[in-house]
Amino acid sequence: MERETGSRRETVRQAAALWVVRLDDPSCSDADRAAFEAWRDESHEHEAAFEREAVAWARLDRLRALRPPGERPDRDLLEPARRAALPGLSRSPWARGMAAAAVAALVVTGVMSFGTSTAYATAIGERRVVVLSDNSRIELNTNSKVVVRYRNGVREVRLVRGEAVFEAASDARPFVIRAEGAVIESGNGAEMAVRLGSNGAIVTVRKGAAELDPNPSVGHDEMSLKAGVAAVYSAVGGQARPVSENEIDRALAWRQGAIALNGQSLEQAVAEFNRYNRQQVSITDPSISGLRLAGYFQTTEPKGFVAAVTSAFPVRATEGADGTIRLSRRG
Amino acid sequence: MAQDDEDRRAWFRREILPLEPDLTAYARQFCRDGQTDPEDLVHETFARAIACKTWREVSNPAAFATRILRNCALDALRRRKVLTITAVADFERIEPMDEAPGAQTVLESREELRALADAIAELPAQCRRAFTLRKVYSLSPEDIAVRMGLSVSTVEKHLVKGLRYCSEKLGRRIGRKNKVDEGRSWSARRDHDAKR
Repeated sequence: MERETGSRRETVRQAAALWVVRLDDPSCSDADRAAFEAWRDESHEHEAAFEREAVAWARLDRLRALRPPGERPDRDLLEPARRAALPGLSRSPWARGMAAAAVAALVVTGVMSFGTSTAYATAIGERRVVVLSDNSRIELNTNSKVVVRYRNGVREVRLVRGEAVFEAASDARPFVIRAEGAVIESGNGAEMAVRLGSNGAIVTVRKGAAELDPNPSVGHDEMSLKAGVAAVYSAVGGQARPVSENEIDRALAWRQGAIALNGQSLEQAVAEFNRYNRQQVSITDPSISGLRLAGYFQTTEPKGFVAAVTSAFPVRATEGADGTIRLSRRG
Repeated sequence: MAQDDEDRRAWFRREILPLEPDLTAYARQFCRDGQTDPEDLVHETFARAIACKTWREVSNPAAFATRILRNCALDALRRRKVLTITAVADFERIEPMDEAPGAQTVLESREELRALADAIAELPAQCRRAFTLRKVYSLSPEDIAVRMGLSVSTVEKHLVKGLRYCSEKLGRRIGRKNKVDEGRSWSARRDHDAKR
């Protein structure tokens, strides 16, 4: 810890960190929140310092992944002598392969142009950012996979599983996303999310523009999508509708490790949580599946979500021997 | 208005904060004579960036942040009582930051988890324990206070200390080689530049 103590900058950052800790404390009062707002309004220096500490604090939530299942809290879990043995930290064969692939790509420049394709994937609850050789960026959500192939003057990315955000860097070569049989040609500098569903997929354009061809073998039903448009498609065609910036931000809340609900049914919300967690939630009573929910939840905290649901609605939660949380009507 | 502020902060989190490792490396170039702290430049840069009311019009956030940082460095230079010619000459020589991220950067999430766990393991014992109970087990500060036989405010102090340590550490580059090779001396860099 080689920080100079007593410096002005450090004083501000300490104060910001204390607010982050306080606001995240379940016992934080309205008066505390008001005092925080007043402090933050004092200067942009305070505002920026708070955002900085808050983002670091949120990043540290990933440590929950190290919690051994079902065990009572162990305060020395991360003791230096012990942490090397933690299962969550061991290198998977996948990670080793990736590291090797990254090195190979750095050493042999242009390895991709020889027709090699590279796959990137995430496990349940994992998120990952991949920056490609042309600086295009792919952000993978939970349980997702893409295969990248740059060759013959085309930058092609196939979404095989799950959901991802694609940001195509400006380049002379076209940037093409293949998903569920469809071909999406992204404009330079465009940013879009593609999510595979059980039947078809949904494309949401956040920046720039794209051309969507739901079924290239048939042709003639290409759709031009611009920023602020979402298109749902399957092999039989597609349908586009405008979406607000807020709606897009909510749909992409996972990039901040959150699920944003805005009037979705309990059934939809549960399905959403189940994408991110091994511990599954199920609804055993169809009469409650239509309840409407709003709020902002951590993707990796199904228990927090369940606690919110049981306190707001006449719903009871029971945990089965297999860890599944079952929701039923109370009373 | 409140929504607008929230949007502006979301933009700052999304576009500006991830630049921290690059900005810190860039800031170091302005601080070679040891008279300015690069961390101060980055801190000031963030404060000026988040103040930007016209953030929606910023098309290249990296270029935007770099410009601010350069101005901050220039302001720091102007505030000095004795300005040496070499300081100004050095300043002029610093090239704009490479605004694109390194080729084929893979932020592997397991690596990130490892870096986070490393940071926690480096904390003093009591601080590490409080932090582990809060962030790994999601216990509230009150619960932690009871468990550890401490006051809530002492637990808060441990958490603040841990958070500050981690945020400082995470702001540097993780598992990726610095684009600016800090092992190379400044004069060697000049020779290199002269050859081009």
